[in-house]
Amino acid sequence: MSNGATKAPVSQIVVGVIIAALVAGVAGYWAGTQRGGGMAKAEERKLEIFHWWTAGGEREAADAMFKALKAKYPDIQLVENPVAGGGGVSHRVVLQARLSAGIPPDTWQTLGGAELKSYVDGGYLEPLDSLYTELKYTDAIPKPLANAVTIGGHPYVVPLNMHIQNILYYDKKLFDELGLRPPTTFDQLLAAAKAIKAARPKMSPLALGSKEKWEAAFVLDSLLLEVGGAEHYVKLYKGEVDVAADPAFKTALERLNTLRPYIYASHPQLTWDESCGLVVSHDSAMVIMGTWAIGYFKSRGWTPGTDFGAVTFPQQPERVLLFHPDTYGLAKGAPHAKATMDWLKVVASADLQVPTDVTQGGLFARLDIDPGQFPDPIRQELQTYVRGNPGKLILDQHGSIAPFSFTQAYWDVAAGFTAKPDVAGTVKAVSELFTTYKVQEGAAWYQWP
Amino acid sequence: MSTSSHAVRFARVREAAPFALPLLVFLLVLYGMLAWTVYTSLSDWQGTAPNYTFAGLKWYRFMVGLDRFWVDLDNNLRWLVLGVVPTTVLALCVAYLLEIGAVRGIEAYLRTLVLYPAAMSFVVTGTIWSWMYQADRGVLNTLLRAAGLERLTSGYTTDPATATYWLILIFVWQYLGLAVLILQASFRSVELQEMVESATLDGASRLRILIAVLIPNIRGGILVVVSLLLISALKVFDIVYVVTFGGPGYATDVLALFQFIATYQQHLVALGSGLAVVIFALAFIIIIPYTIYALQRWFE
Repeated sequence: MSNGATKAPVSQIVVGVIIAALVAGVAGYWAGTQRGGGMAKAEERKLEIFHWWTAGGEREAADAMFKALKAKYPDIQLVENPVAGGGGVSHRVVLQARLSAGIPPDTWQTLGGAELKSYVDGGYLEPLDSLYTELKYTDAIPKPLANAVTIGGHPYVVPLNMHIQNILYYDKKLFDELGLRPPTTFDQLLAAAKAIKAARPKMSPLALGSKEKWEAAFVLDSLLLEVGGAEHYVKLYKGEVDVAADPAFKTALERLNTLRPYIYASHPQLTWDESCGLVVSHDSAMVIMGTWAIGYFKSRGWTPGTDFGAVTFPQQPERVLLFHPDTYGLAKGAPHAKATMDWLKVVASADLQVPTDVTQGGLFARLDIDPGQFPDPIRQELQTYVRGNPGKLILDQHGSIAPFSFTQAYWDVAAGFTAKPDVAGTVKAVSELFTTYKVQEGAAWYQWP
Repeated sequence: MSTSSHAVRFARVREAAPFALPLLVFLLVLYGMLAWTVYTSLSDWQGTAPNYTFAGLKWYRFMVGLDRFWVDLDNNLRWLVLGVVPTTVLALCVAYLLEIGAVRGIEAYLRTLVLYPAAMSFVVTGTIWSWMYQADRGVLNTLLRAAGLERLTSGYTTDPATATYWLILIFVWQYLGLAVLILQASFRSVELQEMVESATLDGASRLRILIAVLIPNIRGGILVVVSLLLISALKVFDIVYVVTFGGPGYATDVLALFQFIATYQQHLVALGSGLAVVIFALAFIIIIPYTIYALQRWFE
């Protein structure tokens, strides 16, 4: 009997714990269904935000963003859920879990284009037509940028910057010493590479780090843009070009192959920042990278305009800037919708864009901000060009026009080509990717010009 | 009589329940998730929103149509063979050398040295080895150049044809210590020690003792080592992720990494689940011989 008495509580405790857990679960579910269920209760002044700006340099940009929010709305309590690791990979894992579970944060960082579209298709974002009308934001930003955040006629997110992909950075002191001009066409690039190799046999003239794959696609993209031109570029990534029979794609691959002897050979072992590091350590003289490289060079103590220069590459047949934006939107069923709308207004303002973009490395989304706000001549010039030629912007493949499932696979093939060039095989593989991932269907939303 | 035996049985069940419950929950979660993954792989979930519409084998057909899948499978088989066989053979040799006191005096140090890598996480080892493998400034090529052995230098993980082998080498290095430890422990049974002793008295050579006496009698230990290595090699992810990220291109990609990329980067969740099911099926095939052996021992 005494035995039974000592045992009974154990099973009772277990049963009790299970019941408690069940009750808590049901209550939690009930509370969840009640949220945003039209209750008249005043909303908390809170903003839960997901972003991936956690690495050095980007962290400071995130702080600048939140400082701008605090200055405008000091009463909003900020809850950050940044996921360490950077680059957005682990960020997407956690965000995906939260979204599928039906507990979204109020707002999260996303690129425009295909990534945005995946959230819109999933029904996770509210359209922002009224906010755009109220702020006249469509007129404030370049039309191609507005198109990149508009799906099915509705804008879904507010862009705060534009990263430009096709920039060639070069070691200015070396170029001056050798009397070289920064190349803006393939022929000039090849000539410069040859001249550098002749003068500095130990150098690999063009740096590259293809470990994360997309870096190789950048180089291929730049070559492709020159061979085929802007319209071909858009058509290609919209899946409207038959790659197997396309002379432009084949020529671009052949040109990349011609460049290979001048490209840093161990590129599969390096990431993008390490490849820029090759230029700083004088192992290489040039690198094709996005605007975020400016921040990297500066962090290594290099001064823009003195130690390194930058040009848009290519500038033939015309000077087109390939871009992708960082953006924020409003979650469907956001717990703090009002605070989120306040946040989005701040995102659209110069008060946020100036300090954030200057720190993080992109261009301003707003056209009315003075390019002179940038401390470096490189972005001053780029922003001035964008102001005068907003129509020369094209959403890049990184962001992207084509669906993400395709883009990922495409990067792998491009990176594979730089390691083991096989023109015919790569043409065939890429052509198959366009069919396999149904690019034409998935990219139909994108309108250019 | 019968009622009292019922009562005893009931009391036993009640006694066991609190302990069986965690096990039950664990099994439910584990196999529940497994079933869920299988179902997801048969659904049409692509994109960010869950879509459990039944699509049959649609995504399996998609999978086998991808060149990348076959490269992965090929690489996984390489990992299974080259990650397991050399490690086991090498571990046997090292364990035996330690056991017969061939390296008396420094044995304790050697044991620590061999076991040390096993204490590190794959992310750490991967990072260190990726530095060593750097073709132009890594320590391996630098040492070779300094020794005047320029022609032995290599591109390591930059060559798509051989990159996987360099990754497997890291795995062998990391798991050797653990394998040695398990094998050495299985040498230590009293019976076996006596057999070795009498074989020595009979004048058998040390190599003969290893082959004819030790190996046949430590089948259990070897089986543990082999199964452990097989499973670890099959689910390899970290080394590939850290050192090459599947590159160059997807030359060193493995199923586990592709599963991650497909699910979270490409948002092809049904495909990712399908890849997970393939990994599970492979693990199942591998574990069957071990299970049969274990069951035989059980019923002996």
